Amino acid sequence: MNVLFVLVPLALGLAFAAVLAFRWAVRDGQFDDVDTPALRILLDDVAEPDAPTARPTDP
Amino acid sequence: MTLAVAPARVRPARAARPAHDAGCAHCGLPAGPHPARTAAGEACCCTGCAVVRDALAASGLGPTYDRLRGLGPAARPGARPPTTEALARAELDTPGFLAEHTRDSSDGGRTVDLFVDGVHCAACVWLIERLPFEIDGVTGARLDLPRARLTLTFDPEQVQLSAVADWLSRFGYAARPARQHAAGGPTEAERRLLVRVGVAWALAGNVMLVAFALYSGLDPSAGSGQAAATDPAMATAARWISLLLAIPSVVYGGAPFFRRAWASVRSAWTARDARRLHLDTPISLGIAVGFGQSAVAAVTGRGEVWFDSITVLIAALLTARWIQLRSRRLAGEASERLLALVPRVARRVGADGRVEVVDLADVRVGDVVEVPAGEVVPVDGPVVAGQSRVDRAVLTGEARPEPVGVGARVEAGATNLQTPIRVRAEAVGEGTRVGRLLAFVERGETRRAPVVLLADRIGGVFVLAVLTLALATAALWAVLDPSQIAAHVVALLVVTCPCALGMATPLALAVASGRAARAGIFVKSDKAVQRLTEVDTVVLDKTGTLTEGRMELAGWLGDEAALDLAAAVEAHTTHPVAAALVRARGDGPGAGTGGDQIEVVAGQGVTGRAGGHAVVVGRPSWVEAQAAPLPAAWHEALAAWAAAGHTPVAVAVDGRVAAVLAVGDRIREDAAALVRQLEAEGRHVHVLSGDDPAVVASVARTLGIDPSRAHGGVSPEGKREAVARLQAAGRVVLMVGDGVNDTAALRQADVGAAVGGGTTASLVAADLFLTRPGVRPILDAMGGARLSMATVRRLLGLSLAYNALGAGAAAAGLVTPLVAAAAMPVSSLLVVGLALLQPSFRRAAAADPT
Repeated sequence: MNVLFVLVPLALGLAFAAVLAFRWAVRDGQFDDVDTPALRILLDDVAEPDAPTARPTDP
Repeated sequence: MTLAVAPARVRPARAARPAHDAGCAHCGLPAGPHPARTAAGEACCCTGCAVVRDALAASGLGPTYDRLRGLGPAARPGARPPTTEALARAELDTPGFLAEHTRDSSDGGRTVDLFVDGVHCAACVWLIERLPFEIDGVTGARLDLPRARLTLTFDPEQVQLSAVADWLSRFGYAARPARQHAAGGPTEAERRLLVRVGVAWALAGNVMLVAFALYSGLDPSAGSGQAAATDPAMATAARWISLLLAIPSVVYGGAPFFRRAWASVRSAWTARDARRLHLDTPISLGIAVGFGQSAVAAVTGRGEVWFDSITVLIAALLTARWIQLRSRRLAGEASERLLALVPRVARRVGADGRVEVVDLADVRVGDVVEVPAGEVVPVDGPVVAGQSRVDRAVLTGEARPEPVGVGARVEAGATNLQTPIRVRAEAVGEGTRVGRLLAFVERGETRRAPVVLLADRIGGVFVLAVLTLALATAALWAVLDPSQIAAHVVALLVVTCPCALGMATPLALAVASGRAARAGIFVKSDKAVQRLTEVDTVVLDKTGTLTEGRMELAGWLGDEAALDLAAAVEAHTTHPVAAALVRARGDGPGAGTGGDQIEVVAGQGVTGRAGGHAVVVGRPSWVEAQAAPLPAAWHEALAAWAAAGHTPVAVAVDGRVAAVLAVGDRIREDAAALVRQLEAEGRHVHVLSGDDPAVVASVARTLGIDPSRAHGGVSPEGKREAVARLQAAGRVVLMVGDGVNDTAALRQADVGAAVGGGTTASLVAADLFLTRPGVRPILDAMGGARLSMATVRRLLGLSLAYNALGAGAAAAGLVTPLVAAAAMPVSSLLVVGLALLQPSFRRAAAADPT
């Protein structure tokens, strides 16, 4: 059972990493619009490397 | 709105392409030397493509290919797609707009937000996000479909925004500038709250995992029934871990509750009124007491820990708040979108006679501005050049357009209808009549009686009840077993912590307002929903609310074919009566006959030839003089129409009077049903209008409104006073209007509702607005509000019952942390489920008047 003294902090560390990832995603605006990106995957990629579709900057 | 509907036009299939070198007509792949042929002879790579192409062409979807392929203009005859308004387009290129409403982007260009009308689906996303490949200088385009908002990154040196708007117009999208104040603020608050929600759930989840271990035997005090801890070191570690996880949950996640609870305690203290205590107060109390007791227990190793219940409670309540914030934003954005319709620029005539588009704020008194037909006058002042008709309906309620010539005064907000005019500004901005009304609207917020939400009213009583119960429990256990007092009092406070109660109102109202928005009803505040159910007096504006607000064919007698001939002749003139006639009969069977030898007699009418007949259209007395006298029965009809405020017109064909008709501001089809329904529900219905009292009385008579409650010739200020008088008499007033002249009254009323097509000012002033045409949605809004408030009440009752049960059990000493951990989510899920299942604003509810 003593292995739990290692595993529980490890699990907490993972949870902390997940929270950080979530925070990043929210600040990045990924939850501002949850409908359009679902449609966007239906569209063909237009491969024009010199004119990539720019991401919107944070307001 | 028009009587006839244009027949569907089927576009013929496109001409055959040249042979195999052009590729498949459907998919674009090489068609090869032996292509399959469509019915129209086009080359396709395979039979499948040919069949699809034929099927599309047969169902009239041939233009699909234009849209898909060359991004070429889909030239559809007949249909007019929405396009960007000329003035809005011009505004996009002004330096002031670029400076104020665009921002630096990461790649060195500028970023702008545009509202795009007419976007629906994935294909729109695809088309619009192709912008960077179609226009040089545009480096990025992202469309936010639900909000119809396009974020565009571009290089101002290379491309003008008007070029982008033109490109969008080719596909039927109208772009409008999203002003900067429309973005930013609310989204930022929402994001912060969302982070809080995520953190709270992560902490709650981990605390729950540890709690599982404690409940399943690690901790003997947690009610597992075992005599001794199996592993004391592990049990201590588990408690400490829960404590460490709960600290950030309470401090960071619970901060909003503590802050609001503190504010309400302070306000209740200064007012010496316990009823001012907010629902956040018992929530904070439960969290604080539960956490304090558990922290002591964790440190000393004795007593029960409630960390799991507390952290889940915080996370659940934060989630409810976030859902509420998000749904509220939807209504806010919808009104911003409508506000963006109004350009904030004017066409100023410079000293050299050139017209330039400038920011409205830069127009000074004495400047001359040009107002083309169809645009709104931006300033108050006299006309210095041109002759036209203006529609002042939004300002005065006067439905009939008035002719204006040089020297006549026009006001900001009036719409120029016929030909361009030039106006010298005598008052601009806040100095105009509209500006003064708007200033009142902005100040008016504080004049209203404060509305206390049902849930908050309960909050104060709830705190007192819980504290009383806690004292009773303490007294009970002081008799039974003094060592148990603390444990059971804490159990009571934790289990009665109003999680379900706190979630009930925000969730029920968020679900209701989301549904309402889909039905075209946008509610700006929860208070309006509650107030709407208390309304006992409805004040209606006439022009644009009960009536359609523009000249239409209101009625006719006689030969129907004569109407078509009259429309054919009138099509050559620009008089508002002519426009109404053409709108109504333009698609009729006789419309194609054309008209020639048109002669306009100013102030009287028109003569001309159409379909081989000599046609005279105009003022009845004049037509009688030109042709023959009217039958007596028609004279009566004409008199009735004139009394109703309509303009009577007679039509003579080949020297014989063939028809009489009335053009006027028609009463909306659903207005009578609205009035009947409101009266049936026992509400008083009043009409307040700036229009002629005789006309207002006639409309009231038609609709069955008590004549003593219909008032004409009322100024905007008078409308507000009338509403205030009703309120002083103890009535709860719903004001419904659409014009600038209604804004003060909308603001003064307990609930202000702006109806479809309302002006900017009325949108700002109103608490709810309806985007569907007609007045029927008012009933839907009232019915929906009643149902959603009933849901709120039901949920509050349910949560209170749960809390009463919990309090009883706690007082009896039956509540352990395990019981609390199980009971709390069950009650919360019940509330969530019932909130989602509520019947308000359903389609069925909208169709059923009760």
